This record gives sequence, C-alpha cells and structure tokens, in this order.
Amino acid sequence: MPELNSTSSDRQKLKELIINADRNQANAFLDSLAVQSSYMEVIHVILEPVLLEIGNMWVKEELSLAQGYVSGKIAEDVFEKTIQAGEFKKERANSKGAVVMGNIEDDYHELGKRMVITFLRAAGWDVYDLGTDVMAEEFVARAIELNAPIIGVSAMMYSTANNVRKVRDEIDAKGLRGKILLATGGAVFNLRPELVHEVGADGTAKSAINSPQLFDRLLGKIK
Amino acid sequence: MTEKSSKIEGVSCGIFKREIEALVGSGRLNIAFTFITSMLHMVPAQLEEKLKKTLPKRSGGRKIVLVYGDCQPSMIEMSARPDISRVFGMNCCEIILGKNRYGQLRREGAFFLLPEWTEKWKEVFQVHLGFNRENARNFMKEMHTKLLYLDTGLIPVPYLTLEEISDFCGLPFETMKVDLDQLLKAIIDAKNELAENQ
Repeated sequence: MPELNSTSSDRQKLKELIINADRNQANAFLDSLAVQSSYMEVIHVILEPVLLEIGNMWVKEELSLAQGYVSGKIAEDVFEKTIQAGEFKKERANSKGAVVMGNIEDDYHELGKRMVITFLRAAGWDVYDLGTDVMAEEFVARAIELNAPIIGVSAMMYSTANNVRKVRDEIDAKGLRGKILLATGGAVFNLRPELVHEVGADGTAKSAINSPQLFDRLLGKIK
Repeated sequence: MTEKSSKIEGVSCGIFKREIEALVGSGRLNIAFTFITSMLHMVPAQLEEKLKKTLPKRSGGRKIVLVYGDCQPSMIEMSARPDISRVFGMNCCEIILGKNRYGQLRREGAFFLLPEWTEKWKEVFQVHLGFNRENARNFMKEMHTKLLYLDTGLIPVPYLTLEEISDFCGLPFETMKVDLDQLLKAIIDAKNELAENQ
C-alpha cells in the first residue's frame, strides 16, 4: 500500500472545510487523498490529527454546534468507507468486546454520545446504544446480559450528571465494582472535571476522539 | 391560583418575559421581575457573568426567585444559596410543561419552540449554532422527529415563521396550547421555599 504523501497544508485544508461546516467538500477532498493510498492512511495521517485539534477547539468552546456536528459526520463517513473498503478487517481482526452506551435518565442530548460511538466502533468495540433517558438499572442489566466490561454514560448538564451516580450505585449494589467500569462524559464534565469523581465514574474523555484511549485504559483495569 | 406576597423579587430568562408579565398583569402573581436576554443561553459563560452581576452579592438582603433551568455550569451553586430559590425544571420547556409532559414529548422526539425563541430563530440557528439549511436538516432529522410550538396564547401563532423554520430544519411542525398554570406553580413553589428558609 503506497504511503500518503500528505502535507500540513492538507490538514489545514481539511480543518478549514470542517470550520466551514462543509461536509460534502471535506468528503470529496478525503476521497481524493484515499485514492492515492487508503482510507486507513487518510485516517491516521490527516483525519485523526485534525480531529484532535478540532476536539480541543470544541472543549474550549471555539466551535459552533454545526461545526462540531459536521466534524463528527465526516469522521463517520470516512470510517464507513473504510469498513466498506474492507480495510478495518485487515487492521483489526478481533473485536475488543461489547460496551453499553446511553444518555442518562432525563438527558436527551445525543450528539456527543453519537460521536463517541463513531470513534469506539472504529476502534473495534461492539457498541450497544440504549438511547436517551436511560435508567441506571437498564444500563447495568444490559451490560450483564451482553457481558460488557464498560458502561458509557453521557450527560450534558449538571442536573442530569448527578443521575450518573445511580449507575455507580447500581453497579456496586450488584457486586460488580471493578468488574464493570463506568465511563462518563458530556459538556458538564469538561467544565467541571471534579464531577467525574463525585458521580463515582472510573474515567472520562475530554472529546470523542479520546474515548477509545479511555476505554482501552479502563479495559486494562478490569479485575 | 393566585399569589399575594410582594416581598420577594424575581430574576428570569427573557424567554418568559411575556408570560410572566401576563401573570403579573392579571394579578395572579405579585413579584417584581428583572429579565435577562434569552440569547445569553447560547453563551453560558456570559450568562453566568450577567447573573453574578444581577443577583445580590451576599445573603441577608434581597430574596430572589430565579426562573432559569440548568443553563450554565454554576446554576446549581447559585440556587443553593438560602436567599435564592430556582424554579423546578432543567430547561425552560420543562419549567412551563412540567416534568412528565416534557419527558413524554421529548421521548417522542419533539424539538420545542417557545414564542420568544421562535421570533429569534435565525439568530439562534444561523448565528449562534452556525447551521446552514443543509446541515440543519441533517442534524435536526437525526435528533428530532418534529418541531413543537408551545402556544402560550399571548400572541397569534406565527404560522409563516413556523413554516420557514420547518423548511430550514426539514421537520414538520405542530402547535400545542400551553396555559401558564405550570409556570405560575413553579414560581410560587420557589417563592414558598424562600419563605420556609426564613
């Protein structure tokens, strides 16, 4: 497979297309680069560095909702093409296992969770999305049923973040502390990092692109 | 339902200005309110600053009913003060609809439009959220099933504007009549909580 002859100007161009929220042009540009090598190469050399930068801008609230949304969709589009081209199968033959994801009780803001799911699936996780307004009992019951070692819970606001504590309590009540780990995330956890500890979560990621790293780290801690 | 005391002041998001003024004007509510522009909801840090300037610096003086949802990260601390009581609800839609009706409609995929925001929809969707028609349609169809205009009965339903928003977002719209009883109850409950803290 030829290596992609990429320059920082390619990354800059992709960044500008994302900032302009131009999904179609961004896809066309990445397609043209993939023809020279592969989608996997495009992901590693162009997309991931740009998304890291975009993720940092998102955390600093320097991006609009539309820009954040489009960046997630571009990632989703490229990962989908990579799967269709059979490139993921070559690189990641084995699934890392099941994870259960959802928005906590009373939370309906799905964008961030969907972006996390995109990156987790691309990283080899079998993600089961339970949807929005999910009760703690359902998170844990589904994790047990699917033999999932990690539950990912999303909350956008302080009031709903407090409900994540119920998942911690349910995991503990079932005697599964250390066997099922709790990942959490959402805007409020970036603004108030101390909340991660307060709700009893085992970890968080600042942006969607960092979530596979978090889940790998948590998997390594399972007793 | 009526409310008689005037010892307590109110600070509210401007999204409820028309509705609260109607409650005060009809004599069902007797609290003097200060309103803060609803567009600060789009910039939580600026909303936090504005609230800090508007609310009393310390306990012991004025008592405030705060008509806000969980709109910025320090709202919980602000409303934990003994001289401040925030109405129930995580956002303006839950405040005016109540928990059960809000949850049911949200689970159906509704995207709520209150009258004041409807008038400012271009500022919200295009300027603050950064959407063009194509991105808005993709995003809204992915996250919602319909637009739901909450008609509080104080202005005519702006059908032409709703059609414009519907076209921009690619979603059908419905209207639903909403009386002000739940909003009034939320404010009176918050006021009573202040009285209990005395």
